[in-house]
Amino acid sequence: MADKIYWKSIEEKDNPELFYTNNENEFSSGSKVVDELVEGFPKSGNTSRRDFLKMLGFSVTAATIAASCEMPVRKSIPYAWKPEEVVPGVANYYASVFFSAGEYNAILVKTREGRPIKIEGNKQSIITKGGTSAKAQASVLSLYDGARYKGPRKGKENISWEQADKEVKSKLDELKQKGAKVALFTSTIASPSTKAVIKDFIAAYPNVEHLVYDPISYSGLLDANEQMFGIRAIPDYQFSKAKVIVGVGADYLGTWLNHTEYETDWAVNRRVSKQNPRMSKTFHIESVPTVTGYKADVRIPVKPAHEEASLIAIYNIVAGKNIPGGYSNPKIEAAAKALISAPGEGLLVCGINDVKVQLLVNAINLALRNYGNTISFERPVYIKQGSDAAAATLYDGLKNGTYKGVLFYESNPVYQHPRGKELADLIANAELSVSFANRLDETSSVCNYVLPDNHYLESWNDIEVKAGIINTVQPTISRLFDTRQFQETLLTYAGKPANYYEYIRQYWENNFFPKQSRYPGFLAFWDNTLHDGEVVLNINPATVSARNINIDDVAAELAKEISSYGEAQVKLYETISVGDGTYADNPWLLELPDPVTKVTWGNYIVVSPSFAKKNDLLPDLNSKEYHVLKLKVGEQEIELPVVAVPGTPEGTFGIPLGFGRTAVNHDLLKNGKNAFPLLKSGKEICGNVTFSKTGKTEKLAITQTHHTLTLKGLGGVRTRKIVKEATLEEYIKNPRAGNEDREEILHELVTLYPTHERPGHHWTMVIDLNTCTGCSACVVACNAENNIPVVGKDQVIRAREMHWLRIDRYFTGSEEDPTVVFQPMLCQHCDNAPCENVCPVAATNHSSEGLNQMTYNRCIGTRYCANNCPYKVRRFNWYDYAGNDSFDKKWGTGNDEGLASYQLGLREPLSRMVLNPDVTVRSRGVIEKCSFCVQRLQDAKLTAKKENRILRDGEAQTACQTACPTNAITFGDRNNKEAAVTALFSDERAFGVVEELHTLPNVLYLTQIRNTVEEKKV
Amino acid sequence: MHAYESEFREPLIGPSVKNYTQITDELVRPTEGNPPLSWWLIFGLMATGTLFFLFCLGWTIWFGIGTWGLNKTVGWAWDITNFVWWIGIGHAGTLISAILLLFRQRFRTGINRAAEAMTIFAVICAGIFPLLHTGRQWLDFFIFPYPNTRGPLWVNFNSPLLWDVFAISTYFTVSVLFWYSGLMPDFATIRDRAKSKTRKFIYNILAFGWQGTAKQWQRFESLSLVLAGLSTPLVLSVHTIVSFDFATSVIPGWHTTIFPPYFVAGAIFSGFAMVETLMLITRVVFKLEDYITINHIESMNKIIVLTGSIVGIAYLTELFIAWYSGYLYEQHAFYNRALGKYWWAYASMMFCNVVSPQFYWFKSLRRNLWVTFILSIFVNIGMWFERFVIIVTSLADDFLPSSWTYFTPTWVDVGIYVGSICLFMTLFLLFARTFPVVAIAEVKSIFRTSSAVAKAERAKQQGATHEGYVGSYQVGVLDKDAKN
Repeated sequence: MADKIYWKSIEEKDNPELFYTNNENEFSSGSKVVDELVEGFPKSGNTSRRDFLKMLGFSVTAATIAASCEMPVRKSIPYAWKPEEVVPGVANYYASVFFSAGEYNAILVKTREGRPIKIEGNKQSIITKGGTSAKAQASVLSLYDGARYKGPRKGKENISWEQADKEVKSKLDELKQKGAKVALFTSTIASPSTKAVIKDFIAAYPNVEHLVYDPISYSGLLDANEQMFGIRAIPDYQFSKAKVIVGVGADYLGTWLNHTEYETDWAVNRRVSKQNPRMSKTFHIESVPTVTGYKADVRIPVKPAHEEASLIAIYNIVAGKNIPGGYSNPKIEAAAKALISAPGEGLLVCGINDVKVQLLVNAINLALRNYGNTISFERPVYIKQGSDAAAATLYDGLKNGTYKGVLFYESNPVYQHPRGKELADLIANAELSVSFANRLDETSSVCNYVLPDNHYLESWNDIEVKAGIINTVQPTISRLFDTRQFQETLLTYAGKPANYYEYIRQYWENNFFPKQSRYPGFLAFWDNTLHDGEVVLNINPATVSARNINIDDVAAELAKEISSYGEAQVKLYETISVGDGTYADNPWLLELPDPVTKVTWGNYIVVSPSFAKKNDLLPDLNSKEYHVLKLKVGEQEIELPVVAVPGTPEGTFGIPLGFGRTAVNHDLLKNGKNAFPLLKSGKEICGNVTFSKTGKTEKLAITQTHHTLTLKGLGGVRTRKIVKEATLEEYIKNPRAGNEDREEILHELVTLYPTHERPGHHWTMVIDLNTCTGCSACVVACNAENNIPVVGKDQVIRAREMHWLRIDRYFTGSEEDPTVVFQPMLCQHCDNAPCENVCPVAATNHSSEGLNQMTYNRCIGTRYCANNCPYKVRRFNWYDYAGNDSFDKKWGTGNDEGLASYQLGLREPLSRMVLNPDVTVRSRGVIEKCSFCVQRLQDAKLTAKKENRILRDGEAQTACQTACPTNAITFGDRNNKEAAVTALFSDERAFGVVEELHTLPNVLYLTQIRNTVEEKKV
Repeated sequence: MHAYESEFREPLIGPSVKNYTQITDELVRPTEGNPPLSWWLIFGLMATGTLFFLFCLGWTIWFGIGTWGLNKTVGWAWDITNFVWWIGIGHAGTLISAILLLFRQRFRTGINRAAEAMTIFAVICAGIFPLLHTGRQWLDFFIFPYPNTRGPLWVNFNSPLLWDVFAISTYFTVSVLFWYSGLMPDFATIRDRAKSKTRKFIYNILAFGWQGTAKQWQRFESLSLVLAGLSTPLVLSVHTIVSFDFATSVIPGWHTTIFPPYFVAGAIFSGFAMVETLMLITRVVFKLEDYITINHIESMNKIIVLTGSIVGIAYLTELFIAWYSGYLYEQHAFYNRALGKYWWAYASMMFCNVVSPQFYWFKSLRRNLWVTFILSIFVNIGMWFERFVIIVTSLADDFLPSSWTYFTPTWVDVGIYVGSICLFMTLFLLFARTFPVVAIAEVKSIFRTSSAVAKAERAKQQGATHEGYVGSYQVGVLDKDAKN
């Protein structure tokens, strides 16, 4: 008898065979795709050899691929509670102020998703009017600096704030009880609230003395004003009112005092048009060439001693005296006469830190009735208040034991003090030494305690730049590290509530609110001030009157001093990039070519070309090997490579300050030599210099060698018309002066091909060479906006800097007294671009809006486009500069010395916070270049679209344009007949560079006009 | 086959060759048995160099183009110099096999096989550079127009670099076909002589079923003619297109209409020089003096002096036009080229390319093997410098003086260049060891025993003092000349 059949379902019962076959075939009742797939395999269950191999092959390959591709880990943390005002993808701007290392810029901080990523100028500011400096632009990178202190430290050891406070406070109390003096050593404090905090602190600790010292000192000017006018302050120089400006060693367009303000004001009278063919006239007497000198209508190169001596000569002419010891030449006489011809409309400024010199300058300005007109004490400038005596006081006090303790805030005397080395030992031996530095520096590394201050972008503060003009500083990100604001630390020790925000508000309510009449309530006043970032209070203008000082005696004394200088002098000066050295650890600034020398990553000795030739010190320009020269000034010796700069007079050795930092995060940041030890008397000019050749050479990371445009060719010596110039006189006669050939060039541009329609926008930029000072703020702004990598000294020596925008510098005339033109050079967005047709993969192409675009994803890196670019503005990613490709991160760079971006930690998550999320970070092996800030254009277009309106002129602005303090860059849509750029595009002064190639550039330049009518005849 | 053969014509094959068997024996011998020690020595050296070449390639791809000496202004230097140099070298092979075939210059048979092989290896070496010089070598496939899902996104047909892709790939394909079709009868000969089974098997496959039937020969001849017809325009077009890389650009020193003829002449110039360098070594190492004769060398030297002079005129024309144009940028480019920071490169180029071939106006120097060998090396050095001068000096100092730079190579640049020569030599040595270096079947077609014997007899009758040799009527001719 057959076995009983047990069934589980009706189907099984009715048709058991089919049921079992179906069940065996697990996927049979699925989709058609599965059926087809399964059909390929035999159903018998005997896998054939072929199938086995097929599957084996597939699975091994799949496993290999899966195992070998390590996906990079991306950390992203969503908001747990989304702040109301933060919309992902939309930038927020907060008004603030950059006041550091003696520089002042009213700024807006651009934040994205809570991260500050870019500094913009605050256009509402009546001081800097939207202009920025290179340092301000770069300061955002220092927020994400790996060298920042992560918390309080005792020696090298990390401690908690509780412990730090306990120990420091007990030490302070102990010193107070002993009656031992403590020095609070700071640079200029322009914050009224901070001053109040210090006052409170001193009230609690009367043994504390506040010493104010600026490494780049204006003590001479301040003291002279005190002697002459009884007010120790810097007057308000109003360059916009001056018709004649004579500068003597004062780089007022680059580094001198409140230069961003002066640049904006200077430009007012330098903007020439047919409607307004007037210009101020500028003379510049200087030894070491600066952008101010190069921009001057008449540059008068004299050696450093003669900078001072020329003042005596000018004084003689102006005051009709005959004091011996002056130095004059026809140009100096012309300058003096020009000043006389414009009484009350002239301005004489001098950058030499010497009371006698400044007294002389004051006397000349006084004689010319410039006070009250172009120079005013109505609202004195507060950004420099330091005294040279303070430096000596500190040194002596520590040495003889008067000061048992010392606190450092925003000052780094171990590096910036002439006797820094000795000071380091004295500080280390002091009973208490505290530094409030926010990142590693020379002083904080020898202090007992480091109580790190917040970065200014994390802080509350206020800055009184001029009397009654106050800017607010507000935090734009919460503290990145366990830091505490300096003011709160002091308040803690003073026994006050450690809430600086409340303190400021209280201070403002008590002191500033009554001085304004616009807002009825304090809240409205406070909120609006924070929003605008600046407030102008009603003040009672100080009345000053000149005291009677015997200037003749001062001049005679000065003449005696000058005669002791000897033949050659050293001139110490600040560069636009690193200034006094505070920012000499900022890779963006280190890689910024100095506009005058074009050197990056280090300092050097500036000498005259004739000196270099005479002493066989000309460099090998091909290998960039520069001869090292040894200078001896008193007991100080310094060895640096020699750079011959046209326009430097004989007898001049210029040495930039601010380099040679030692306490920095990486060896790559240690560049050049520290020249502060030479600044013995606080005066930039050191006499009696002897030099000796060392026979050594050193490579300098120089980006441009000094070529003149007049070059030899097969047709003889001829000049390239890359920049065009005319004098004012010529311009008035013919607006096309200097640009006469353009008509013919345009006439001869013919093409067989149809031109493209630009129905929408046609983006165009016009750069006024006349108002471009070469200050390079735009270069750093471009770096920040477009995530341009830092490549480091080694790569710059190999001519691989990545800057999308560079300042070209051209000399004409003689080497002794050249005229110089600065020309910002960026992608010209040619409508007939040579780069576009040569790319084999069409990775670079033209947009319908006239933009020359790069498609990074498509680029394979043939570099054909870069070769065929007549402007050489295309940049190739030779290595993984930005750290975008992960696979070679730890492998360095083969036979090169390594990448700055890698070694300086610029690929670390911390510093990558500065990246602009709107701009692609480029990978290795692709070309990149200026995009006309296409992300900003897109943003502006979308805003207009959302509001259902046409884009207005000036809404879309490029980063370089907004950074420019002189508004030399105009950008806009040429199809908009109303746009400012449209008018300039057809201006008689407008020309394109090598236009005869029929590139049809969308960037035009306006000719440089110099107000040099009379001097040519002299 | 001509019925009449001038008795004044010198024989195309050396005096010691007596019969067809000897030809087969001598020409197949290098592929059989152990090669001479000299072969092993050179091969060992070149293979090591090739390994270093591969190392440098890997280094470049791993670390990036930054390992080369290029900079923001000079975006091409040794890479494209090498590329153009190698492409130029390849030209002699095609010229010899295709153009001389069409013109029925039968002396070509002694050297055409090796010259064609050289062409292929040179194109291989050349092809590496455009692929290697890109920033992202792994995406090189973007330059091929293939259907894709990116749009589809096509290549830019306006770009001379793309034209290069087509020109070179066409050139390579046709050259390989031409070379291989010519090899088939010879492979069959080797197969038929092979003793070991493996050898027979391999050469059987390589021979592609060649039986030597009349139909096969007829088709073989037709195919040769067709391929020769295809190759001939390529000789002119390939280097013309390569020259477009420069000629269509805007850079002063590149933007020149003279480039196509100038480049083609230069290519033939350097190609023949390289053929000579290789032949002079090969004929000694493999004892092929009877097949690659002094007459071959002399003919090639004549071409060298001709093309060298064409190139020289081109150089002078460039200078003249630069001056005559009145165009300041062009004027500076050429002034700078000759007297600027790269004057030494220009001087080397001028000496090697223009001065040194002039020695060949003298017959004794044309027929001197040592002079030929040294000058062939000189010519190739000169031609390398020509490309270097064009590419680097033009880029280094172009329109804006602010961007002017200087190019200095790194060891990787040098390694890749020298390595590519090693690769070329390795391939050639392997070729010489495994393939017949002289086209056996074709050489046999110019070897005519009957006429040679007759000529020798006649020479004897006319009073030749020496015994005439079969296969040679040298003696008779010389004596006849003496009598007249």
